[in-house]
Amino acid sequence: MFRDLERIEREFEAGLASAAGDPGAIEAVRVRFLGRKGEMQALLRRFASLPPAEKPAAGKALNALKTRIETAVAEASAAAAAVRRRAEIAAGGLDVGLPARTPWRGSLHPVTRTRRELERIFRDLGYTVESGPEVEDDFHNFQALNLPPNHPARDATDTFYVEGGLLLRTHTSPVQIRTMQARRPPIRMVCPGRVYRRDLDATHLPMFHQLEALVVDEGISMADLKGTIDALWKRFFGDDVRIRFRPGYFPFVEPGCEYDVSCRVCGGRGCRACKGTGWLELGGAGMVHPAVFEAVGIDAERYTGFAFGLGIDRIAMVRHGIDDLRLLMENDIRFLARFPA
Amino acid sequence: MLVSFAWLEELVDLDGLGARDAADALTARGLTVDSVSGAAGSEVLDLDVPANRPDCLGHLGVARELSAAFSRPLLPRPTPPPAPGPAAAGAADIEIEAEDLCPRYTARLVRGVRVGPSPARVVARLEACGLRSVNNVVDASNLVLLETGHPIHAFDFARIEGGEIRVRRAGPGETIETLDGVLRTLGPEVLVIADRTRPVAVAGVLGGAATEIRASTRDVLVEAAVFDPGSVRSTARRLGLATDASHRFERGVDPDGVLAAQDLAVRLLEELAGGAAAPGLVDVHPRPAAPRALHLRPERVRRLLGYDPGLDATRDALARLGIRIQDAPGGALLATPPTWRVDLLREADLVEEVGRHLGYDRIPVAAASARLSPLPDRLVEAEERARTALAGLGFHEAFNYAMNAAGEDDAFVGASAPGQIVLTNPIAEPLARLRRSVLPGLLRAADRNLRHGAEDVRLFEVGRVFLRREADTFPDERPRAGIAWAGAGEPRHFSARPRPVDFFDLAGAVETVLEALQPGIAWARRRSDLSGLHPRRSAVWSSAAAGDAAWGGELHPDLAASLGLETPVLVAEIDLATLLSAEAEERAHAPLPRLPAVTRDLSFVLSAGQEYAALTAALRGVAAPAPVRFEAVDRYEGSPLAEGESSLTVRVILQPSEATLTDPEVERYRSGLIAAAEREAGARIRGGTEPPMGE
Ligand SMILES: [Zn+2]
Repeated sequence: MFRDLERIEREFEAGLASAAGDPGAIEAVRVRFLGRKGEMQALLRRFASLPPAEKPAAGKALNALKTRIETAVAEASAAAAAVRRRAEIAAGGLDVGLPARTPWRGSLHPVTRTRRELERIFRDLGYTVESGPEVEDDFHNFQALNLPPNHPARDATDTFYVEGGLLLRTHTSPVQIRTMQARRPPIRMVCPGRVYRRDLDATHLPMFHQLEALVVDEGISMADLKGTIDALWKRFFGDDVRIRFRPGYFPFVEPGCEYDVSCRVCGGRGCRACKGTGWLELGGAGMVHPAVFEAVGIDAERYTGFAFGLGIDRIAMVRHGIDDLRLLMENDIRFLARFPA
Repeated sequence: MLVSFAWLEELVDLDGLGARDAADALTARGLTVDSVSGAAGSEVLDLDVPANRPDCLGHLGVARELSAAFSRPLLPRPTPPPAPGPAAAGAADIEIEAEDLCPRYTARLVRGVRVGPSPARVVARLEACGLRSVNNVVDASNLVLLETGHPIHAFDFARIEGGEIRVRRAGPGETIETLDGVLRTLGPEVLVIADRTRPVAVAGVLGGAATEIRASTRDVLVEAAVFDPGSVRSTARRLGLATDASHRFERGVDPDGVLAAQDLAVRLLEELAGGAAAPGLVDVHPRPAAPRALHLRPERVRRLLGYDPGLDATRDALARLGIRIQDAPGGALLATPPTWRVDLLREADLVEEVGRHLGYDRIPVAAASARLSPLPDRLVEAEERARTALAGLGFHEAFNYAMNAAGEDDAFVGASAPGQIVLTNPIAEPLARLRRSVLPGLLRAADRNLRHGAEDVRLFEVGRVFLRREADTFPDERPRAGIAWAGAGEPRHFSARPRPVDFFDLAGAVETVLEALQPGIAWARRRSDLSGLHPRRSAVWSSAAAGDAAWGGELHPDLAASLGLETPVLVAEIDLATLLSAEAEERAHAPLPRLPAVTRDLSFVLSAGQEYAALTAALRGVAAPAPVRFEAVDRYEGSPLAEGESSLTVRVILQPSEATLTDPEVERYRSGLIAAAEREAGARIRGGTEPPMGE
């Protein structure tokens, strides 16, 4: 019995050594010694027939050898697997410089991005975002805004008319009227949207985008207007922006003004974007005209308000350094893809 | 308006100030100077005069602003001494018949002029201001216009029949040949200056050819009048004439400005054309308007401007602008604007004058205060979420006009849809109607990109369409999201050949947007009958609650051919308003399953014309022993199946929540599915197999 144990141990060692790390050969060694019909199993059967006195010593030796073989086989298998993985690693290299498999990335139009940025600033300031119809009537687009029929300021806006006497709104101001008709002060709202003018050349498109802000409450003054315009453009362009107010005429505000911000392209030294003036004209503003309050039934003695507007397309062009207005409507993917969502 | 700096210097003391100083001051006061050009001594300012400041449509008005800005006195023009001889009133017989349209009409007679060229300095001055010299008489009237802002007219007096001037409405069908040589038919809406028999000028717009100044003219009748702005405007529009005169009358002239205009006219005619004025001015002014006095409360100044300039500064500002100030009860001021400031009608107008004169820089900057913002509008929010979802799927946002060509969107609206809304004054034929679908614009954009050589085109637009409504003149403006897709159906990579986009890619994009905006709605697909879509490769998405919310698919090959599209383009359109009208059920959280799911794959053979929707409907009708869902995992056409047949493998996934399913339960259910598929969808089983992983 003990001689057999010694023999098995010797033969196992030789077998494992000749397997030389080959996983198949190691498995064959394991089957030969540990398998159901293997050497150890045969020895176990002989063990049963040993005289009782010999059993304790033989059993101990048998178990020790079995454990040793099992451990050695496991170690050899693990070593073989590790070797195999090294080989696979060596064989399976990738050229990691090749292009990635990238999911598609769409884009948002620069005007949408700019509009959202502006809306977010206004939302942070507690404004609602309102919308209204693009096909409007003369009352909301003109008359309620202190632009009665035959008012010369109507010349400034070449209007598209549709059948039935309606028109395509020439500004977003009618949304102010609709909001004031629907709600009582305090009102703090902005209305972004598409507007239409019968104009088409290098610097005008027949459809473009405006945003107007309206605040109506007790005790609103031009100081609040200046403060709001100041806050808006400092948030949008940065704290170093300078803002200038000049008297200006819009029939629906009084006093009225135009406001400019220092040119973001040249920093105020003068360039093509600012026509050499160092200032970008961004829009008109003013205190809501008493005639507008009368048109919507708001007490002009109790309430005052301010309104101001801006052209989103122009601001998007300044923001992104776009020098040709037409790019905004050409839908060229090479252009659009520069504004990934 | 072009303004000569030298001319301004004749009207206001600008000693020590340059054209630049004047330009800066005017710009700061709301009269924006777009440019200063010309050499030193002959600078010309390009002035942008707002519509409410007709008083600044002449050098005198600009000089008044500078006088206020710099506290410099105006320099008076010499008044010509009264001339001897018979009075003008005896020669000209003037009557206003339409007082509502002509509140004031003045005339002077200058006799013995010699019509000829003007001196070089006059020609140069006119040219600096953008006008051409005609002859000394016409030039004199243009100089009056440019200096006073008041348009005047010079008639050849000898050709005014009977020496009569009648200011009246034109008779029906009455005609006049105007100075531009056009014979114009007038009507009762048009105010004319007529002599005894015929119109000799269209009032405030253009003179007539018959009484035009010519070489033989000796006696000149000078008209300086006031006409109703609305009447001049509608006449100018009606006749398609916009003249320097109509531009000023439309905006409103100084009713007393006629006097200065006449004085200057007479002086210039004498100086340039050697005439001699007959004594006296004929001034028909039946109802002179009382001066307009406005109350101004200092408290209102503070409330609108946001600071209190003080009573003294307020008075001073107004006084410098020629506004007469008196004290009114209650601490208010009574302000009487000068006759040339036709724009000052309300208290707020005076507040602007104070703020403007003191400078908008003086207005303080109040901190912008924030308040809690109410919830955004649902539709607006849906538009934004659609944009975000589509950009996230790899689409690029396009912008198209709301207008398109007649009939351009017919292929994408149902046959029974109301017609396009027509623009009455389109800018071009391709933009002559309001769109009813966003797809034509997207197709045009896709086509343009493909022509530029783009391999992959994925575009979307979120914008409104305009549908005619029967009961309302306002159209139904519906927000839509549209997509156009050409090229690969998945991102390109060197590791695999690109798979061209197909209907199922498009349907995935559509359903992702539907789900993103209104989760949890069961959408059914059926074939679309829109003429622009492939009849067998397009679908409409609808739900019981909302109706049809989306439609799309491959373009109809006929339409693609007529558009010249060589690359297949798939399109879809989602109606966001319809989508939002479907109320989705709130999805409550269900506990995660703890029991294993049971799956069975069933392969059916479908004959031609049988569809997946019918098969799954049949399967869904079978009572299941546990919550169940079905997935199509494989589809096959070809040998050994017959022509038109397809094999479809459906994976049945049972997810018990309370008790483990037994084999007989599952087997009974499986048999029920097979029977239902055969009975209700005509699908025969090809052989049930266990999925590789079993249970
Ligand atoms: Zn610049």
